[in-house]
Amino acid sequence: MLGNILVNALMNAGVYAMLAVGFSLMFGVARIINLAHTAFYMVAGYCIFYLVSTAGLPLPLAILISIVAVVVLAVVVYRLLIDPMREHETTVLILTIALALVLQEAMLLWFGGYFRSVPAATAGYATILGVRVSFQYLLTLGVLAGALVAVWFVLMKTKLGLAIRATAQDREIAEVMGMDESRTATLTVAIASALAGLAGAIVAPLYILEPRMWLNPLTIVLAIAVLGGLGSLKGSLFGAAIIALAESLVVFLVPQGAFLKGAFSLGIMILVLLIRPEGLFGVAFEEER
Amino acid sequence: MPEVPETLGAPEALLEVKGLSVRYDTAVLLNDVTLRVDAGETVGLVGPNGAGKTTLLRTVAGLVHWEREKKRGTRAGNIVIEGQVVFGGQRIDRLPPHGIARLGLVLVPERRRPFRELSVLDNLRAGAYLVRDPKEVTRALETVYGLFPILRERGGQLSGTLSGGEQQMLAIGRALMTRPRLLCIDEPSTGLSPRVRREVLAKIKDIGRTGITILLVEQDVSLAFALTTRNYILSHSRVVAEGTSEELMADERLRQRYLGVAGTA
Amino acid sequence: MVRYLNWLWREFKGEILVLPGRSILFFGAVALLALPLVFRHPYALRVLTMASIFAIFAASWDLISGVVGQLSLGHAIFFGTAAYTSALLNLNAGLPPVVTIPLGALAAVVAGLAVGIPCLRLKGQYLSLATLAFPIILAGLVMVFSSVTGGELGVSGLTRLAPTRLKEYYVAVVAAIVLILAVWKITDSKVGIIFHAIREDEVAARASGINTPLYKVLAFCLSGLFAGLAGGLYAHYMRIAGPSTLSVLTSFQPIIWVIFGGIATIYGAVVGVFVLFPLVEVLRVAPELRMLLYAASIVLVLRFMPEGLAPWVIDRLERKCPRCKEHNAFTRRACRVCGTALRVPQEKGVPSGG
Ligand SMILES: Nc1ncnc2c1ncn2[C@@H]1O[C@H](COP(=O)(O)OP(=O)(O)OP(=O)(O)O)[C@@H](O)[C@H]1O
Ligand SMILES: [Mg+2]
Repeated sequence: MLGNILVNALMNAGVYAMLAVGFSLMFGVARIINLAHTAFYMVAGYCIFYLVSTAGLPLPLAILISIVAVVVLAVVVYRLLIDPMREHETTVLILTIALALVLQEAMLLWFGGYFRSVPAATAGYATILGVRVSFQYLLTLGVLAGALVAVWFVLMKTKLGLAIRATAQDREIAEVMGMDESRTATLTVAIASALAGLAGAIVAPLYILEPRMWLNPLTIVLAIAVLGGLGSLKGSLFGAAIIALAESLVVFLVPQGAFLKGAFSLGIMILVLLIRPEGLFGVAFEEER
Repeated sequence: MPEVPETLGAPEALLEVKGLSVRYDTAVLLNDVTLRVDAGETVGLVGPNGAGKTTLLRTVAGLVHWEREKKRGTRAGNIVIEGQVVFGGQRIDRLPPHGIARLGLVLVPERRRPFRELSVLDNLRAGAYLVRDPKEVTRALETVYGLFPILRERGGQLSGTLSGGEQQMLAIGRALMTRPRLLCIDEPSTGLSPRVRREVLAKIKDIGRTGITILLVEQDVSLAFALTTRNYILSHSRVVAEGTSEELMADERLRQRYLGVAGTA
Repeated sequence: MVRYLNWLWREFKGEILVLPGRSILFFGAVALLALPLVFRHPYALRVLTMASIFAIFAASWDLISGVVGQLSLGHAIFFGTAAYTSALLNLNAGLPPVVTIPLGALAAVVAGLAVGIPCLRLKGQYLSLATLAFPIILAGLVMVFSSVTGGELGVSGLTRLAPTRLKEYYVAVVAAIVLILAVWKITDSKVGIIFHAIREDEVAARASGINTPLYKVLAFCLSGLFAGLAGGLYAHYMRIAGPSTLSVLTSFQPIIWVIFGGIATIYGAVVGVFVLFPLVEVLRVAPELRMLLYAASIVLVLRFMPEGLAPWVIDRLERKCPRCKEHNAFTRRACRVCGTALRVPQEKGVPSGG
């Protein structure tokens, strides 16, 4: 039982963390609340489904192509639609909602409203702590951990990462130090959407695909990003762990818990905000004129 | 493109501001401002609150133009910039701030504005963003540490937790890391105790001695005039006087109107 | 009597006809009231009835999010609370719509307190994202207590809003006109000025002695009241209250309508609903492409009118007097209030300082 909860939580935490880190980065650097963020995750899932089931490509190649496709899509949309509107905050908000709806409808149009699934990459399972864990799960966990370490490395150890962190703090001063804000923002969008794409790609064999699959993760990701503190990497990781664990506990321990898991995690978010209005690791953004 | 030297400017003019006006909607922030800073000089810019000193530095650093480009089409976007800013013989008034930084003009902003959630070392590294050679970064770091030893001690600390004086040193150090030709410093002494104030200003004097050109905005006129070669007085968006510290101090009218109550925060 | 009519006409001419924007809204309302005299297609009436109800909902969102600047991503909490309350009271206590709808709205006001008070501590984006949570939490509870709420299926079989389609239409249209005028009056009142001040600069508003927390909670309650009235009307019109009234998409709808129409204006909310809601219906000609075209047209319009549709049109039909800031029809040469010449295209006279 406990083992089940932990394994489940770990997996969800990884996926949520990938989505939340991207969302949070994009908010921090480009200052957009991207409500279409998880729609890109959905697109990646469908992309894989198409490439594997219809085009018959091997899964790793399909994953790679899907991520590239999602990144290209996200960057093009960002440069064409969002970037020119960035000063109109509320307009950006509904642009991203509309964008999510467009993607949802496009998926519906091409793939129909049925539930789809992608065959797993590996068969078989291992027994850990008395829990049967499929190799697919382990593989997924490995990829998740690898991706998060890679993001951490980019952010903390590279010049791009320095520019991202500095711009998230104070974009005017970052510019004054020679950092091209528009380029940094675009690259951040690329990284964030790559993470969303990867998340979508690796859960495709485990979860079920349907055109509304972006909605639930979206609320969870918003909760995590707020809970952890908007713009904070550490916050996203901790927030994802907290929410994923809470969800698993509710689902396993509370009768009808599946209905309550969203409510429960959002309840936690509100509680945390009441105690710390800027989130657990909130960054107080420098006021700009 | 080789620059044809203008007849009125001596060849070593590093920064020239010509007939610069800035308006935010109907508010006039700068009105036909003309000034120059020659290479190697430390030039002071003083004047009452709201005179437009910060606006001048922000315009020179490209931030006003950048703000205008970003906000174009919004309600707050009606910003007008007229006139020219020439740096090292090149017009920079249409460049983005990062392009201006690349040419060697850097701003130490009002209220210091360190990247608060970044460590002191990362702040300095952010300053060296444009420096490609890691060896040069190390050398610049050593220079900054030589000037402000406290920053070496505080390397791992989050800059938001530094004291006001330390934050000011960090802001100056961060700007020096870009290896600038012109350092524009906006009110470095505000909010500091008299002792730290003198210390910071002394360091600025040292920086000037190393050959870096400085444009200094300062409330504390007596402190500022002690290290500047030439000064401009800005009032109500206009330049009202120009001259060496002695000349300006000798003018009774100016002293009473603009320089008199200097020295107290 | 004649004198009274005369006065009415002068007021009408002076207050409404002078401005193209106001004239459009006025004649739009008149057209809505007169339409059934000439045209009673049940489907068209249905679309306009729904649009009227949603216009109230949109205006309530604009009140809290646009005017007061507390951008709510969870407005479904008010709509859904009222819908369920009205529905349950109607079914279990047998109360008629005239009673259940106000009571539902009252419940939404309580929800306004429940959301507004915790959110006092939150600012900006944090507040927006926190509000998103409330309807989802309530939806979770609705699912768990399915014996009362009907779970996935909701509560159905409510009394009709009015006995005939036509009467239902008039109930919705009149309610919309009255309630939206009320919202607009609020934003135009003393309280409204304080609301605007809070949006512009909350710190300054507090510094000038305004009890901003009180006014923010008040705004949440008022917004909840109007959204609740819309929710109750909706439940009785559809004769069902289901979990979709609490869904994220229900929260997003007013955001789309209002920002499309023009935020913080109230009339923009109305314009947004009456353009977009029928548009979705027209797009039924291409059922698969419907939502796609809908979203795409929103994106396109906003790309070129970033402040929204209504302000864009108004900017072209009316001109603001440079001196007294009053609006004037584009045809006028001099300001109707202070007489300043208006025919200076774009070039704003810049006072030379100093
Ligand atoms: N974005 C803006 N829109 C409108 N007016 C502005 C804006 N920014 C600054 N101002 C106004 O322009 C004037 C000049 O401001 P500025 O900050 O340049 O003055 P300053 O000389 O640096 O003053 P201080 O000594 O107080 O720092 C002030 O009256 C200020 O209120
Ligand atoms: Mg200043």
